[in-house]
Amino acid sequence: MKEKPLQVLLVEDNAGDARLIREMFINERPDSFELTHLLRMSDAETQLAKGGADIVLLDMGLPDGHGLDTVRRAHAAAPGVPVIVLTGLDDEALAAEALKEGAQDYLIKGQIENRALPRALRHAIERHRMQTETDLIRINQMQFKDEFLSHVSHELRSPLSAIRQFVTILLDGLAGELKPAQHEYMEIVLRNVKQLQSMINDLLEVTRGQAGKLTIEPQRASISDAIAYVVSTLQGAATAKGITLSSDNECVLPSVCADPTRIRQILIILVDNAIKFTPADGEIKVQARVFDKDPRLVVLEVSDSGCGISPDMTERIFERLFQTSDPSLEGRNGLGLGLYICKELVTRQGGQIWAKSALGQGAVFSVTLPIFSLPNLISPAFSKEVRADRPVAIVVTEIGSQSGWLSDDVRAEQSHGVREVLQHCLHSDLDVLLPKMGAAGGVELFFVIALTDSIGGEAISKRIRERLQEHVQRAGLTVSTSYQFLPPVKRKSTESIEEHLERLGAGIQELIDVETSSRMVVNA
Amino acid sequence: MPNKKILIVDDDRDVQQGMNLRLKANQYDTCLAGDAFSGVAEARRSEPDLILLDLGMPAGGGFLVMERLKMIPSLAVIPVIVVSARHGLENQKRALESGAKAFLQKPVDDDQLLAVIRQTLGEPARMKKPALCNQGVV
Repeated sequence: MKEKPLQVLLVEDNAGDARLIREMFINERPDSFELTHLLRMSDAETQLAKGGADIVLLDMGLPDGHGLDTVRRAHAAAPGVPVIVLTGLDDEALAAEALKEGAQDYLIKGQIENRALPRALRHAIERHRMQTETDLIRINQMQFKDEFLSHVSHELRSPLSAIRQFVTILLDGLAGELKPAQHEYMEIVLRNVKQLQSMINDLLEVTRGQAGKLTIEPQRASISDAIAYVVSTLQGAATAKGITLSSDNECVLPSVCADPTRIRQILIILVDNAIKFTPADGEIKVQARVFDKDPRLVVLEVSDSGCGISPDMTERIFERLFQTSDPSLEGRNGLGLGLYICKELVTRQGGQIWAKSALGQGAVFSVTLPIFSLPNLISPAFSKEVRADRPVAIVVTEIGSQSGWLSDDVRAEQSHGVREVLQHCLHSDLDVLLPKMGAAGGVELFFVIALTDSIGGEAISKRIRERLQEHVQRAGLTVSTSYQFLPPVKRKSTESIEEHLERLGAGIQELIDVETSSRMVVNA
Repeated sequence: MPNKKILIVDDDRDVQQGMNLRLKANQYDTCLAGDAFSGVAEARRSEPDLILLDLGMPAGGGFLVMERLKMIPSLAVIPVIVVSARHGLENQKRALESGAKAFLQKPVDDDQLLAVIRQTLGEPARMKKPALCNQGVV
């Protein structure tokens, strides 16, 4: 079969250079290359968008495009087409930058040998094809692996379900009273079943994380409550190993802006790990305080008197599937996903996690989370001084559920879906979607703070309702929107921006409280 | 008052038996089916107060059972709780849209299962029966 000629798009504004290049193809078979010559970047973009080009020869100094920008624009117009940049002698450094931006190769004008250009083009196309293929294989493999893990995890759940059921049946004495030793052994079975179950959940969590499905619903959350919950949940496991587990907090801790379920999950993983690596008579402490290096954050610490981690490992332990090679730490350490999940959960909530330790000297795991502050949350919209005195509309979106009982997971995923749609309705520099501001009997309320007058408030409210309609119907939800208008809060001449934001925040909070409590009464 | 009757439809005999024991210990009468076809037949025969339904089963899955039940007026009113190892929002949504009152993930926690059953049947919440024997626990 006769091969189609390679379509070369030459983008070059210098007629002399263009002619030189054209002549380099003279010795090639006429049906092997077809050269299209354009002078401007904008024309090249139009041509590339139409498709058909196999490769682009791109000058980086065009009348309507210069430097790396030309490479980016060519890629944006036709992501799958390889680009070779043409540069002068003096901008080789720029050419090297172009390679980082995804150009396949660069050729220096005046140094291109006649026969070399067609060969360079063929090589670039072939290299690009191989690279694309490798990328595709890698993506497919990742996808296959995640699907496989997800499938296997589901299949493991059924038999595990039966084991758990019968163990609890025996433990609860439904099949006759157990002797103390039998009871003890059954407890061991149950403990291991739960461990297996949590590993399966970890696997699913990670595959969901990879697929971007990990749901996090940030809201005003109490760190003290989370610590109290985790200490009481794991007290039994610590006592069983002869470990003292305690918490020690500053008297009044500010609330954080995070998902309370996820904070508990993070703490459970950290304390559970500490129990695993701390010998009998050891001690584990959970503490929290305002971070001294950044007063906008709270720092949570889980410290133990266990075997510690060598300092060169303190970063690697957060890697996916990390397993220690230290023989003294061997044993059943799980899948090596716990700390990885922790890190994902912390960073996705705007915090950081790190560990400090030395072998044999215990370890301290620290997690930071942002403090909940309405003035901070709304500040992006008010950041420019001229906007500080503008009127404010508070758009309330109320989501109700038509379905029956829903698990927390499903609720969280639904909220997440609504949030995504809401986010798309907003102007990022004028409107702010607040995190969850507390629950109101049976319905979920979402608040958007918009820098606009009442007419604008009505418009946004309508836009949100229309865009959400299709989404909520699909998810079996109901939606209604309304808006409240906060009269302009004028900045006093003696007031700093921060103080002004503080007053604005208080006004907004008051309106939110009214909205929330009225829903409580209606739905009570 | 007579005990409420619960139909367990699950193709995993072990899971079925486990649920059966747990429900009987909590003063429920039970009847059993191991596939979609006999699930509908058993519902028609014994007219239970509630159905615990698995999704992945031979002879059509749990969704088929719900579809069939809806076509028979006397059975359409029986509340269904889906208990499945299948994961994912899609299955949960589909189950609820098909008329299920709740969706529980296997392995299901006994307390949660009983709480959802009671809520669905409109019964008052009860404390879990304390373990008969708790000596010797480490």
